[in-house]
Amino acid sequence: MFAQAIVYFSYFLKRNKQYTKTKQFFFNLLENPESQMKSYFDGFMICLVMLSVFFLVYSVEHTLNDTAEWFEQFVIFIFISEYLLRGWLYSDTHRIIINEYEKADYLNIKFSLFKTLKQIIGKKLRYIFSFFAIIDLLAILPSYRPLRILRVLLIFRLFKLFRYSNSIKIFSDVLISKRFELITLAIFMGFLVFIASIAIYLFENKSAGGHIRHLYDAFYWSIVTISTVGYGDITPQTVGGRLVTVTLILTGLGVLSFFTSIIVAAFNDKMDALRENRTYSELSRFKSYIIICGFGRVGQEVAELFKRDGQDFIIIDKDEKEILVAKQKQFLAIHDDAGNNSVLINAGINRGATAILCATGSDIANVYITLTSRHLNPEITIISRANRQDSENKLYQAGANDVIQPFKIAGLLAAEYIGQPVAFETIRSILHEQKQIIMDTLIVSSNSLLENIKIDQLDLENRKLTLLGVISSNIKHKKHRNHYQVKNQHFYFNPEQHFELQEQDILVILGRKYSIEYFQDQIKQSSIIL
Amino acid sequence: MIKRIAVFGYNRLSFDAISRLDQKSHDILIIETDPSLIKLAQEKAFKTISIDFRSDGDLKSIGIGQDIDIIFCFLPNDSENVFLTLSARAIDKNLNIIAVVESAQAAEKLIAAGANKIIDPYQICGQKIYELIKKPDITHIIDHTVFGRHDLHIAEITIPEGSSLDNTYASELIQNKKQDLVIFGIVYNKLGKVLHFTAGEQDRKLAVGDIIVVLGPSREINAFKKETSHV
Repeated sequence: MFAQAIVYFSYFLKRNKQYTKTKQFFFNLLENPESQMKSYFDGFMICLVMLSVFFLVYSVEHTLNDTAEWFEQFVIFIFISEYLLRGWLYSDTHRIIINEYEKADYLNIKFSLFKTLKQIIGKKLRYIFSFFAIIDLLAILPSYRPLRILRVLLIFRLFKLFRYSNSIKIFSDVLISKRFELITLAIFMGFLVFIASIAIYLFENKSAGGHIRHLYDAFYWSIVTISTVGYGDITPQTVGGRLVTVTLILTGLGVLSFFTSIIVAAFNDKMDALRENRTYSELSRFKSYIIICGFGRVGQEVAELFKRDGQDFIIIDKDEKEILVAKQKQFLAIHDDAGNNSVLINAGINRGATAILCATGSDIANVYITLTSRHLNPEITIISRANRQDSENKLYQAGANDVIQPFKIAGLLAAEYIGQPVAFETIRSILHEQKQIIMDTLIVSSNSLLENIKIDQLDLENRKLTLLGVISSNIKHKKHRNHYQVKNQHFYFNPEQHFELQEQDILVILGRKYSIEYFQDQIKQSSIIL
Repeated sequence: MIKRIAVFGYNRLSFDAISRLDQKSHDILIIETDPSLIKLAQEKAFKTISIDFRSDGDLKSIGIGQDIDIIFCFLPNDSENVFLTLSARAIDKNLNIIAVVESAQAAEKLIAAGANKIIDPYQICGQKIYELIKKPDITHIIDHTVFGRHDLHIAEITIPEGSSLDNTYASELIQNKKQDLVIFGIVYNKLGKVLHFTAGEQDRKLAVGDIIVVLGPSREINAFKKETSHV
């Protein structure tokens, strides 16, 4: 009966949206590394810990007033809440119960509350004995009055700081990766210290005329000497003792350098992975960005333009030299093969990326990256560079939205420059927004002031705008003259005065930036009010 | 007037540039030493000649310094292009030299050597990609019309001597135009080589030598040209 009530309650919790939402909220606040809230919370906790330690230090020589006492209470309250909440988040108790119940139900055996309870407690115990939970507990316990003696343990609050930053994790990872070397070294050092302690004790004990009173002194002396610290509070007096010292110092130098080299090598090995992690975490902060595959001349040019524009982007290149160039310019870059599914997924092809540029110098690589990207994300915009004429169709087949051939467009521009230098500069300056006059598009959104309006009603002259044409896929317009196929739409050049705008038509407008922006705002407003 | 163009180096770039040029108003000569490339060029019915561009005598022999108006330096190496630009500039002060660059640093050297226009395919490609991301619709229109197969062009029309447009206002031009054209802007000779857009700008008087930049189908452009030359 009791067991059934618990199972029923578990199902109730599972269905309860409020419960799930609350738990999700605290998960975001305390544990979710991608949540913004967690970083605020971490910052708050760091301040709290620092302040409480400040009071601790202050109280060594001063007496605290009431405010400080209240603050201490508040800190303890926060710490305890945090400790309990983390325990709560650590495992989903109701889910364990439901799982066990359903398993029992399926296997047609009796549901054992005792076994389930054991499992639940096991999970929670694992939390209690986890490294950080112990630290958390030690930071709280000394405030409990009967344990006031342990006040020194308040220093553990400082250890809590590690929870809120990644550095300890990185450091312990590095140490763990060199476990074998470190253990070997520790064993060797243990032997060395043992031998040296015994030897120095035998040579330098009181009866031999030395300063070593007992084995603990000998041990202390060995450690001080082997680490090359050598305080000099205990110095060898006998010839034998000095010989032991010389040997220990020389071996100590070796041990120290060995230890240093292990740590340095380990950090070196980890550095690449660490940098990559930083790149990914920075990337996850971007809302919409562009993936540039290949950081050759073309990739660099695009990157510079994006940078000027404030557009976020990430570079992927196989070549280490190019990645180095990118890093020097402080661009986000991944040193990997963009043809790899996992690389593109990690770079966020399905998360925040809006477009992929395949700008490598090899057509084979570009086709491969295009194909991979299209396979991973059917919606994303893919623009690819083709170096050979034959590759253009292959890239379109692979799923590219647009294909660009550097030498072809350069040839076109060279010819255009010869034939019509002024027209050439006009196009250039409009496209690059070098002057205040720009070419831009306005979309006729539904219910906006543009819908079902004729061109002569637009009052373009007063708005100081020039209409070049209308882009539309609407069949209604087909009867008008001067239409040109552009991709799967039509461009109606210089439409007649009675041309009636339809929803989703796109106006192509030439004019000053601010008059276009003003018009754009008006259109947006009109569609909201109605 | 037919312009004489010497194209140094036959490759993708020169092929696209030449095909783009109006064959009737341009006399094109390709300078290439590689026999296989010469064969390819001849298959397309281009005029070719094999000379050593390092020799000033050879350059003069094809007409540089006399009747060649423009040279394209489309040789594969930046250093070769710089050398050619320098030699050609020394022979003819007024030659219009257009050179391609491979590496970004070579651009300054080419300018210093006397090139009028630098074509950097990678830079252009990068800008193009940028435009496609930022303004896909407009870039597509320009690609498909101005640079593409469709009969819609941007053209520049210089107001000739004795034109009816001389001494009229730009606003009159816009209001009275009969053709199906969009006027982008006007370069006023007196105000330097800057393009003044027509939309919402100060009204100015047109004069002989001013350049009108228009967008439209070629028949309309031709009709407009005829009308402007009408006295």
